[in-house]
Amino acid sequence: MHPTNGRVNGHHRRNGTPRYSAWSLVQHGLTGAEWSRAWRAHPMRKSYDVVIVGGGVHGLATAYYLATNHGIRNIAVLEKGYIGGGGSGRNTAILRSNYLTPEGVRFYDRSIKLYERLAADLNFNVMFSQRGHLTLAHNDASLRTMHWRAEVNKLQNVDSEVIGPDKIKELVPYLDTSTTTRYPILGALYHPPGGIIRHDAVVWGYARTADANGVHIHQKTEVTGIDVEGGRVTGVQTDQGRIATPVVVNCTAGWATLISDMAGVRMPVQTFPLQAAVTEPVKPFLDTVVVSGTLHVYVSQTDRGELVFGASVDPFASYSMRGSLEFTEGVAGHVLELMPAVSKMRLLRQWAGLCDMTPDYSPIMGPTEVEGFYVDVGWGTYGFKAGPVSGEAMADCIANQRPPEIISAFGIDRFLQGRLVGEKGAAAVGH
Amino acid sequence: MMLLTCPWCGPRNSTEFRFGGESHPRPRPDAATPEEWRDYLYFATNPRGWSRETWYHGSGCRRYFAIERHTETNEHRAIDERRAAEARR
Amino acid sequence: MTQEQIALAGTGAMRLGRQEGEVIDRRRTITFRWNGKQQLAHPGDTIASALAAAGERVFSRSFKYHRPRGILTADHLDPGCQLQVGDEPNVRAAHRLVEADMDVRSQNTWPSLRFDVKAANGLVGRFLSAGFYYKTFIKPERLWPVYEKVLRQFVHAGSISPDTAHDYYDKRYAHPDVLVAGGGPAGMSAALAAARAGATVLLVDEQGALGGRLRWGGPAELHELHRLTAEIAAEPGIEVLTDSVVGGRFDDNWVAVVQRNLPNVVERLVKVRAKSFVVAPGLIERPYVFEGNDLPGVMLSTAARRLINLYAVKPGERAVVLTANPEGDGAVADLQRAGVDVAAVVDARHGTTVTRARGRSGVQSVELSDGRRIDADLLVTAVGWTAPTSLLNMSGDKPVYDPRSARFRPDPARLPDTVLATGRIVGDGSFSEIAAHGAAIGREAARRAAGIRARWQTQVPTRTPGEPVAEVPAKPVEIPDLTPAAHPELFRGHTHGFVDFSEDVSSKDLFTAVAEGYDSVELVKRYTTVTMGPGQGKLETVNAVAVVAEATGRTIAETGTTTWRPMYAPVTLGALAGRIFEPVRHSPMQAWHERQGAVPLVAGQWIRPEHYGDPAAEVRTVRNAVGIIDVTPIGKLDLRGPDVPELLNLLYVNKWNNLGVGRVRYGVMCAEDGVVLDDGVTGRLGEQHYLMSTTSSGAGTVWEWVENWLQTEHPDWQVHVTPVTTAYASINVAGPRSRELVGRLAEGVDLSPEAFGYMNVRTGTVAGVPDCVLWRIGFTGELSYEIHVPAAFGLHVWEALMSAGADLGVAPFGIEAQRILRLEKGHFIVGQDTDGLTQAYTAGLGSLVKLDKQDFIGKPELTWQAERGGYPLLVGLQPIDGRIVPAEASQIIAGGRIVGRITSSRMSPTLGRSICLGQVEAGLAKPGAVVTVRLIDGRNIPAAVTPQLAHVDPEGERQRV
Repeated sequence: MHPTNGRVNGHHRRNGTPRYSAWSLVQHGLTGAEWSRAWRAHPMRKSYDVVIVGGGVHGLATAYYLATNHGIRNIAVLEKGYIGGGGSGRNTAILRSNYLTPEGVRFYDRSIKLYERLAADLNFNVMFSQRGHLTLAHNDASLRTMHWRAEVNKLQNVDSEVIGPDKIKELVPYLDTSTTTRYPILGALYHPPGGIIRHDAVVWGYARTADANGVHIHQKTEVTGIDVEGGRVTGVQTDQGRIATPVVVNCTAGWATLISDMAGVRMPVQTFPLQAAVTEPVKPFLDTVVVSGTLHVYVSQTDRGELVFGASVDPFASYSMRGSLEFTEGVAGHVLELMPAVSKMRLLRQWAGLCDMTPDYSPIMGPTEVEGFYVDVGWGTYGFKAGPVSGEAMADCIANQRPPEIISAFGIDRFLQGRLVGEKGAAAVGH
Repeated sequence: MMLLTCPWCGPRNSTEFRFGGESHPRPRPDAATPEEWRDYLYFATNPRGWSRETWYHGSGCRRYFAIERHTETNEHRAIDERRAAEARR
Repeated sequence: MTQEQIALAGTGAMRLGRQEGEVIDRRRTITFRWNGKQQLAHPGDTIASALAAAGERVFSRSFKYHRPRGILTADHLDPGCQLQVGDEPNVRAAHRLVEADMDVRSQNTWPSLRFDVKAANGLVGRFLSAGFYYKTFIKPERLWPVYEKVLRQFVHAGSISPDTAHDYYDKRYAHPDVLVAGGGPAGMSAALAAARAGATVLLVDEQGALGGRLRWGGPAELHELHRLTAEIAAEPGIEVLTDSVVGGRFDDNWVAVVQRNLPNVVERLVKVRAKSFVVAPGLIERPYVFEGNDLPGVMLSTAARRLINLYAVKPGERAVVLTANPEGDGAVADLQRAGVDVAAVVDARHGTTVTRARGRSGVQSVELSDGRRIDADLLVTAVGWTAPTSLLNMSGDKPVYDPRSARFRPDPARLPDTVLATGRIVGDGSFSEIAAHGAAIGREAARRAAGIRARWQTQVPTRTPGEPVAEVPAKPVEIPDLTPAAHPELFRGHTHGFVDFSEDVSSKDLFTAVAEGYDSVELVKRYTTVTMGPGQGKLETVNAVAVVAEATGRTIAETGTTTWRPMYAPVTLGALAGRIFEPVRHSPMQAWHERQGAVPLVAGQWIRPEHYGDPAAEVRTVRNAVGIIDVTPIGKLDLRGPDVPELLNLLYVNKWNNLGVGRVRYGVMCAEDGVVLDDGVTGRLGEQHYLMSTTSSGAGTVWEWVENWLQTEHPDWQVHVTPVTTAYASINVAGPRSRELVGRLAEGVDLSPEAFGYMNVRTGTVAGVPDCVLWRIGFTGELSYEIHVPAAFGLHVWEALMSAGADLGVAPFGIEAQRILRLEKGHFIVGQDTDGLTQAYTAGLGSLVKLDKQDFIGKPELTWQAERGGYPLLVGLQPIDGRIVPAEASQIIAGGRIVGRITSSRMSPTLGRSICLGQVEAGLAKPGAVVTVRLIDGRNIPAAVTPQLAHVDPEGERQRV
């Protein structure tokens, strides 16, 4: 594994823009000088060494690590809307690494480690708040799964343990831990390094530093086709013109199938909306992230005081991001079963993102049967958590033309070979 | 909430139904290669547009039925075999 | 104070004499507390109007700079009027009516509203530029949690109390032909016309009464208001919901309406399936951006008019009015009538505008673009309108900017047929033009609703024969034109001011964000949080778009707008949740179990006895005498027809052709990927009659699974499936003396081992109850009979077994004892000893799987699993030290690598040692192999693989007697 740091020392960064710091903030405040652009708009070149489709955290991180770890800088990131406008800006910004399979734990643990130093690496405060993450168990089967995850986690040196109702109540006084509820809380998987982050800041931090390292970010540029000749990629068609390139990376979420279809690569993916909602703010009362698999809900309180809710993906496949009333009704009911005292808080807004679900709840990463066409897709509901490690691994994969060990279990060939990853095991025994 | 038209019960709330996914023909189990079988198990067309899929009216007549649904607008229509054949061509 | 004294004192210095359209009840006075101080109000007052009447100008402090804020809009949207009422945070004080003894407090102030320490933030405002937090607190990383704690202190909101209960909230469904959102002149006219065309109508308005802007108009408007309200009241086809808001429109006109201020109900969610949906929300007045635009005393013309005309409150003493439209001109007249000294009327239509407002805790003077400076405590602005297109956007509309009218307009072409818009969201006009448009839209909505009704009727093939189908007028109603009036484009004046009052975002911040590269409206929104506050952009979005356009040099049309998302207005979690409705399932014997002190176990939907005090004793009773367990939740499917054997051959991995009548067989079902799905026994009760059992948790899934295969793959097979899980109460009688016990109660069944052997089924009478099904099977490993009793007689049979077996030592046993018994016997549990990847061979079912069958579900994958070999295996395990019980999910490791896990473990009362089941890698799955188990406390212990899964009676002699 490569030691990663995109760090550029000194008061100025690679492209001469000033570093962010309390001192620079004061200087700008005093002088009223304008900040320089975090990223620039460039004219599109006729060709790039690497074209990344999707300007979310995965695409931008891949570009950033290609530039900083491997010195590949002639890169275009193509984004059909604005950067971070897809899954990166629509998720509930929860980070954790307490997965079930050793492959999953190792992978997401690397992601957490990269996230922990991301603010310093990118010189951009991404506000990673490691306030702890609780997954509640309401029956003995899910308690057993929590133990299973805890044991696998501990063996990978990931801080994770099963705790009882008293300790849970101490961490989250607003939880109803009485034994008479419909779904009594029997215990929880407690994961102290988990927490929340400012998701947009991660996108902007990567974009800013990738830009400083020469990466071209093209917003409002939609890919309309991928040119494949003789089994290898030769270029990308966009609504802004054609780009010649030997390497195309599909870093989209929600559009994984559609982009791969352009290269003629079939995907074991079905796209489902995942909804989220946010309440009006109240004074801080919830320090940790609380998840209940049985009740299909997760909740955290942001630094702005809002509660952010999420649930499982919608019950049927769709590319619609319109959202549903059933979702908010369900999530409110379940949150109130956990914390009756929040009943007078008001739901402010709901939204939806798209999740590309794979059969084994694990991603599809690496090369495909089309030479030069790489995928970093199929993230289901976990994509944001994996942003940095995916970027790092995909950059490695592209630069060295073979998947690094950390993603070797996630190749697309596993489906035809029947070697699925067991992350779904947690779901299968979770009821 | 989408209204889904059950061929037996008429338009009903979608919460009465369970989504069964894209309709795939099942390969012959004694003749399928691993690739054919796993394509059937795991791969999907996942179109952004009209999709032929199975639904189960669990809170109604308990019939499984196939229907075409547009995956972006949620409009749906009965399957027209002639149209389907034309689309395949 | 006595009522008399209160009446003499009046309810405040700013209270005006009687206004024609006022909504307060002057005959009565109530008291409430404002920051601990007693305040007076009339019923009908909002919290804000009562405080304003008393001369209060400052209601809150702002988010970042803690600037004083007062009334801006005097309605639900008012950003400065969010207050804490009792344990309810963020109450919209300019909308919520005062109630006697309310405890109202300002939020986000310390130590007090007048003197707020954090107001010092205002001095350092120049350093708190857009996105400042992204640029600092970066290093050292370990200090971020400390910074974060401080930042969290600045949360701009009220607070909740841990003692708040989930009050009574209920829900309602409504199925009107036409739903009208907005009860102003257009909405009221639409509702009337639709109802007169024969439609049932639900008319919803956010205010406490119908009328919209008519309510604060002059005599002509009030006259129309009274006429329309009287006509609506007389129209039986219209139901009116006031103080209710349409929160969201979802697919196929599924609409959420939140009803507030109901007696005994905090809020109610009304879920409406509307055939036609008419959107008539009117317009929202837009604030103007200039320096000092957030000072208390700066308010919108609609706010001033509401205060005067609805609440009889004088908004100030000396006013400057900035007007660009007739409504602003109307405000001038209202102010003058209310006795406000209107020092200047600045007509923006002629190019003059306001440059800045000055003052400390409120407006003191106003500077104009012509250089004048006027002393005033009130600045009223009327600079334009925002069309609240939210509900239309949720229906597919994308608003288009119209520079001529200076507002975004809906694009009706993008709307589905079932959604129509009317009123000022469409265009402007005289009262009669608006009413005519509303009426035409109402008639057309009714016509389309009739069409939908007819379509729905004909789409039900099973409808009542002869039912008349609704008649649909064929010709669409002609809709008159309604065009927006020309209006000057006024967004920002010559100075920077606040664009978003809730978030403390100024136009300067937006310029900064654009300069830093956040140059699309979505990025600006996320970077600065503009429009992300409680109003969700209803006041702020258009100004934000206009400022971004200005900063980027693009037009407003090119800049576009952000997406409006549900909810239109915030709704309590309580209303969304409604009454918590989580049904549980009980067996008919549950009351008996509870009387015996059974410890309940939540198992999915079921509540079951876990044990009755001592599970180990319950195990011993079963091994030595006889025990009975309530197994009612076991899934049961009644299968009838000539093709049942074909079906069973398809569903199960083993063979079913030769199952004789009266025989029972164990079977395992896999999914198409070969992963174990469920298991159970199926017995043949008659020539074409079978009873299938499934796991308790799998009952529903398997039923759907069976139907799926029958209906989609084999519709030609003749099998009828009936779920009978709760039609029977199920009791397992287990133990060496079970035959004796059952024999005392059974009639017409020969229980002798020769006549009723292991794995047989009989039907007969038990304890006088006919039609019981008896299975001789043995999950516990003992001689046992599973009796399925018609559910109504379950408790009777259970009690009969208990009393008939008293001398045999019969005792009930629970799930925990059953788990121990089955583990001693080595029976696996699907979902515990198997997981989402466990294929049949891994579960040790190699001898059961019959690959020579032509077809069964999962056959190809299992064929390949068998060919591949080398798969992990479920094995019996015994720790070398039998006193140690490794927790379930303990990992089995070798050389630091995970090579398996303990799936089940217990202390065996029968063997007096710990016993386990576990999955291990192929190489370790050999009898006698010693593996390393990592305990939860981190210790490693050795455990040996047993020769077979069963720890007790591996030969099965006990159950075959």
